[in-house]
Amino acid sequence: MSISRPGHQDNKKDATLSTSRIAVKPFPAIRKRITINSTEIQLFARYINDLTGIHIEPSKAYLLETRLGKILEHESCDSFTTFYYKAKADTSKIIEKQIIDAITTNETLFFRDASPFELLKHKILPEVFDKRSNKSVRIWSAACSTGQEVYSIAIILRELLGPVNGTNLKLVGTDISDAAIKQASYGMYNKFEIERGLPRERLQRYFESHGENWKIKDEIRFMTSFNRFNLMGSFAGMGKYDIIFCRNVAIYFTLDDRIKVFNKIADCLEPDGYLIIGSTESLTGVCPRFVPKRHLKSIFYQLR
Amino acid sequence: MQALKILVVDDDPVTRSLLMKRLSKAECVVETAESGVEAIRMISNTYFDVILTDLMMPGGVDGIGVLETAKENNIKTEVILITAHGSIDNAIVAMKKGANDYLQKPINFDELILRLSKIQNLKHLMKNASDLRVAMETTEQVSSETIQHLEMTVAELQERMLTIRKTLERRDLPPGERIRMALAG
Ligand SMILES: C[S@@+](CC[C@H](N)C(=O)[O-])C[C@H]1O[C@@H](n2cnc3c(N)ncnc32)[C@H](O)[C@@H]1O
Repeated sequence: MSISRPGHQDNKKDATLSTSRIAVKPFPAIRKRITINSTEIQLFARYINDLTGIHIEPSKAYLLETRLGKILEHESCDSFTTFYYKAKADTSKIIEKQIIDAITTNETLFFRDASPFELLKHKILPEVFDKRSNKSVRIWSAACSTGQEVYSIAIILRELLGPVNGTNLKLVGTDISDAAIKQASYGMYNKFEIERGLPRERLQRYFESHGENWKIKDEIRFMTSFNRFNLMGSFAGMGKYDIIFCRNVAIYFTLDDRIKVFNKIADCLEPDGYLIIGSTESLTGVCPRFVPKRHLKSIFYQLR
Repeated sequence: MQALKILVVDDDPVTRSLLMKRLSKAECVVETAESGVEAIRMISNTYFDVILTDLMMPGGVDGIGVLETAKENNIKTEVILITAHGSIDNAIVAMKKGANDYLQKPINFDELILRLSKIQNLKHLMKNASDLRVAMETTEQVSSETIQHLEMTVAELQERMLTIRKTLERRDLPPGERIRMALAG
């Protein structure tokens, strides 16, 4: 298997520049990047699949090299095999967590795809509140990454209900990545994250600036809670939810795992509850317990 | 790669023409301004990838003033300040205000070219990333419409099949009647 190694090209390029008068070090600090062989690819693909459900095609070896290379170097391992056994033997699970943080794709943005949040505001929440005299609602974002999805939901709730005291509301975000959950519960975003999806008025109303970053205001933060949770594990003790967001995570799983996850989600949904999945995802052939329903430009699912 | 568009701001004509010559030779597109005031006028009319400005200039607008206007106008503009030898403290203040880099006089041109080539690489990467994002969003938009349409169509077809099966299985009707009803939907 041939794997392109961008590091080497960079070296060459810089070397040509260094022919100029000023002394540019000939990069002694850059060690040769450790490459992964096909046995190791299998080893790690299986390991990561067991841990997270994430399916890695053997052709995507570069993904393992680029995402795990840093941890490997930090652990002073000389090959992916040594690194594998070191990670497996680490009973503190610290390396394992770092691998999970590195291998997950946390790509997300505020009000992603817009239409699910319109759906929530104009159809789902009014319907739920109509049925519940005390305006209580339980919402779960099942792979919330760094929290943008949860805070988008919270902002919609705040705009619909006014100041929310929280007793009738449960809005929980979970994710397998420790690092993602940590950022989510802190509620701090840099200017690139903030720029994406958030209109200026909402930014100014619900965030306060902290130097170069922005932090969600406490009135919104207090409506939410965040926990680490692996969708591959047991859902016992999760309770039932009125609304579940499970967007853009099952796309990384095999069909078999997708079937398992959506069946467990079906068990956690109230009989009249709502499920929202990613805009390019489909439940056809995945979970016949759900029926798709259309409202304007979006689709949501309910139990049969 | 596209050539960098650079504005050189310095009240000293020798520095200006030297920078002009060297940068043009390095295939940059260069314009010059004699003062902060002139620079500000130019910045508000044209986009520059990089502004190389002297820190201390007479005439009311110094390098910091140029920097602030440049950043207000377009955050993508990179600003490199040129400071007199030994005035690092000023340079640090400037960096805090958003300058991307500083150079000390006398200017080492090789160093300058090296930094510019880094900026050019970075701009190129940023353009790639933003192109990718746009391409991805377009793909996502189109495929989500297709998928949602398919999802609804499959669900409707499944319902229809179910009704047809039920009709065909009705024992209370003669077979011909069942078929007629099933076809009628
Ligand atoms: C692309 S993000 C989606 C974020 C958000 N739902 C959205 O649509 O913008 C996918 C997230 O799924 C998480 N994830 C991957 N495997 C998981 C698992 N087995 N259990 C829980 N979360 C998982 C990743 O850590 C990542 O943050």
